[in-house]
Amino acid sequence: MSDADTLSKLSRINDKYQMFNDFCRDGELGDAKFLFSVKDNLTSAEYETCAGSRILEGYRPVFDATCIAKLKAEGGKLIGKANMDEFGFGTFSTNSGFGIPRNPFDLSRSCGGSSGGSACAAAVIDDHISLGVSTGGSICCPASFCGTYGIVPSYGRVSRYGLIDYGNSLDKIGILAMDPKQMTKYLPVIAGKDKEDPTSCVQPELKITHKKMKSVAVPREAVEGIAKDVLDAFNKALEDLRSMGIDVEYVDMPELKYAMPAYYILATSEASTNLARYVGMRYGQQEGDLTLGFDDYFTSFRTQYFGDEAKRRILLGTYTRMEGFRDRYYAKALQVRMVVIDAYKKVFADHDAVLTPTMPFVSPKFDDISRMTPVESYKADFLTVPPNLAGTPHLNCPCGYNADGMPIGMQFVTDHWNEDQLLTMAEEWDKQFEIRKAEVSL
Amino acid sequence: MDKEIVARVAKASHIRLTEEELDRYCKDLGDILDYFAILDEAPNHDGNGINPVEIADVLRDDVPEEKFDSEELLRDMKTYENYIRGPKLV
Amino acid sequence: MKIGLEIHVQLPTKSKMFCSCPTTDAPAPNTHVCPTCLGMPGSRPVLNREVLVCGIKLAKMLGCTIADEIWFSRKTYFYPDMSKSVQITQYDHPIGTGGVVYLNGKPIRITRIHLEEDPGKTKRTGDMHALVDYNRSGIPLAEIVTEPDLSTPAEARAFLAQLIQDIKHTLDLENGERSIRCDCNISVGKERCEIKNVTGLKNVETALTYEMVRQIKVLKAGGKIERATMNFDESRGVTYGARKKEFEADYGYIDEPDLGIFHIKALADSITIKEAPAKMITRMADQYGIDQKMAKQLVSTSTDLAQFFETVSKQYGTENAIKWVAGPVTAHWKALESRNGGTDEVLAVIGKFASGEINDTECGIEIKCAMTGESAENAQESSAGLETLINEYLDANPKVIEDYGKGNVKAANSVIGYVKKNTGSQYSSSEVVETAKKLIESRL
Repeated sequence: MSDADTLSKLSRINDKYQMFNDFCRDGELGDAKFLFSVKDNLTSAEYETCAGSRILEGYRPVFDATCIAKLKAEGGKLIGKANMDEFGFGTFSTNSGFGIPRNPFDLSRSCGGSSGGSACAAAVIDDHISLGVSTGGSICCPASFCGTYGIVPSYGRVSRYGLIDYGNSLDKIGILAMDPKQMTKYLPVIAGKDKEDPTSCVQPELKITHKKMKSVAVPREAVEGIAKDVLDAFNKALEDLRSMGIDVEYVDMPELKYAMPAYYILATSEASTNLARYVGMRYGQQEGDLTLGFDDYFTSFRTQYFGDEAKRRILLGTYTRMEGFRDRYYAKALQVRMVVIDAYKKVFADHDAVLTPTMPFVSPKFDDISRMTPVESYKADFLTVPPNLAGTPHLNCPCGYNADGMPIGMQFVTDHWNEDQLLTMAEEWDKQFEIRKAEVSL
Repeated sequence: MDKEIVARVAKASHIRLTEEELDRYCKDLGDILDYFAILDEAPNHDGNGINPVEIADVLRDDVPEEKFDSEELLRDMKTYENYIRGPKLV
Repeated sequence: MKIGLEIHVQLPTKSKMFCSCPTTDAPAPNTHVCPTCLGMPGSRPVLNREVLVCGIKLAKMLGCTIADEIWFSRKTYFYPDMSKSVQITQYDHPIGTGGVVYLNGKPIRITRIHLEEDPGKTKRTGDMHALVDYNRSGIPLAEIVTEPDLSTPAEARAFLAQLIQDIKHTLDLENGERSIRCDCNISVGKERCEIKNVTGLKNVETALTYEMVRQIKVLKAGGKIERATMNFDESRGVTYGARKKEFEADYGYIDEPDLGIFHIKALADSITIKEAPAKMITRMADQYGIDQKMAKQLVSTSTDLAQFFETVSKQYGTENAIKWVAGPVTAHWKALESRNGGTDEVLAVIGKFASGEINDTECGIEIKCAMTGESAENAQESSAGLETLINEYLDANPKVIEDYGKGNVKAANSVIGYVKKNTGSQYSSSEVVETAKKLIESRL
């Protein structure tokens, strides 16, 4: 296919699924070895970068995020900036300031979030990899809803230089792809120490030794409150794993129930400080009345351009770190993170991984999403939040499809820095699982 | 959830809320914080949890370097004689 | 009356605190900037090692306990000069706590010293909107917080002057090209007011005095002092109520997750600092039984001079050190410094005196020659000339001798004007006073 054909097809795909904000509309792909896209909270010099927020509309960063620069150096061509929930605030990519990406298996359903555009791109573009960012489940959730693989490496594995922050102690850049071998190939490319991001500088080297898993632990707490279609597919997957020679054992992890509140407190506390910089000066929206006093000027931009969920999380995060409430919420959440990490370490002493379904239900329809309360939608993340809080690497593997043909995923979690066994698991699983590719009729 | 507190939080966050929004966020925050109450039962921990893995002693040498062209940095900003424009100070 | 100070000192690093931008004077506004100090989305801070080194040195200078492990915090507030609307500072784990500094023998307790980044600078246009220069954004600062142990505006000024000397000495600052800014807390009654961002010694004293008088007036009129934040108008020398600042509660401090933690014990143990001038004064007065004033004169002329005093004392006795180093050597010290001269020759001259090889007058002249580089003949001549002039003055003004005899040592200073009028700047003030004292004493 000529470059023009490829790009015109891309444009038509985007018309249908709306997975990109800004993308490569014309020009040449040159001798690109591979094409990739990234979530729109990764800064790129050649495309507008908005992180799903209207307050950043028009922002053209002066530098590429480290992960983008590394993929380019490897011969990759960045073709699109994937749509997302504003600053990563959401589970369904419905909180974007720029339209909503559509599920490749059913256009009336969500791609998941917040890396919804990335999962969609990985699902509908041939041989594609897309970088996503996970703070509390934003890679595994959309991977599960769109039927792709998705890996979230350990906290600190991939440099966050060039990542527009949501929660700095939680954000992790990872990869979504239909072919797990692509993840094994490109994770080592984007991983590694980067002097521009101190949190990337303590990691041990990422070595791919293809070490297979021998035993996985399923927390009893994780199979409660799961939709029947998801649970059926999950139970079938457990059988398949056993037949692959993997020992599956149920365990108790009562500490997991504390992960959700701790996660939301840390994430929103950090987010509310990160978002304080968006005030109508320096970048993004800047057309305002400078003769206003600065408090009014800043307030007018923030009131006008932040979406509903962004405001909710800013309010929540400002509250939980405010003097008088800080000890009960923020300080306690820091401690609870350590409690959850300890709980994982205890399981990893006897098992290679913790295994759960990824999401408690298949991708919901947009109508149903609009009726959810904030707490209901936060609760949807109860399985993806714990490893994200703990900074432990995790993986979504497609493991089945329900009667409507909607994909179902399972989530493996391994110990810090052990991406090797996750990548190997994905490849082993892929050898015996018949993955379905969404039909892309244009 | 105390409406006055939510109003104060909104003011500190530099977000203006209509009366309707104040009521709505008040209820949302109340629901969310009720849901967080379980945290009070969680055990304490004496570890340092700034980051999920220990990030320690990453430092940079004191070597000045101009990595970016300042004209390019200011390219899309509102400026006046190389100053960046901002709103009124008092 | 209680006065406490929060002193912000710019640290002398070559690059900024969290990015590599240079800290030198910039050619134009916003030219020493990068995504990090402009707070652009996706940028990140990386800590400059030298900031920790400077912080540890100052913490040691203040006699603070240095933490084994520190980290940084985010203080959130909205202002056009703060590019991230977040200042990276230290909240609950500062680099140093609980120190003490002596001001003329009086202990001034130091609450804490912490490290933080400077915001940018703002100025106003004609229509009052802001113009911001972020060149200063990210310059490293140490904030030193004292207990309210200072009793008067003048004492606060003296404390600050001493502190600045000590800081310059400890951090090897040439001419203090780094700015020092002060927040001043003062309470005459129960409630305190804070005067924000005062620059310069004189301004600190003026602002505090104005605020002291204001509070006294309020109290005398039966009013109540409201806790408030004030600004200081330098041109008018008055304080005025500032726009209500955020409450402390609204800063919403959280830990800074982008930097991690720092184990600084080993670094702190490896750093030794030069003795701070203020400490040296107290120690020398104690050790040599000289009065505080003499010790202060020696140290504030130059710590090298004070060290020379110690050398002479060790080799030829404290008596000779007082006689010669606190006398003519101090008088000619500036001359020696301007010639970049050493003290070896001077030491040898004092040695000759101590062994009885030369007498009083000869020693004085030889010291002068060694220090100013004048020939012995010239020195003798000019010294004789100076003595003649002073004798003339004393003959005409016997009251000076009388006053001096009554213990008014400063009476000798009146000679300076007369000598300067007749000879211009041929003799240094200290040399004139030194010689005058000698001649007056010989007449008493």
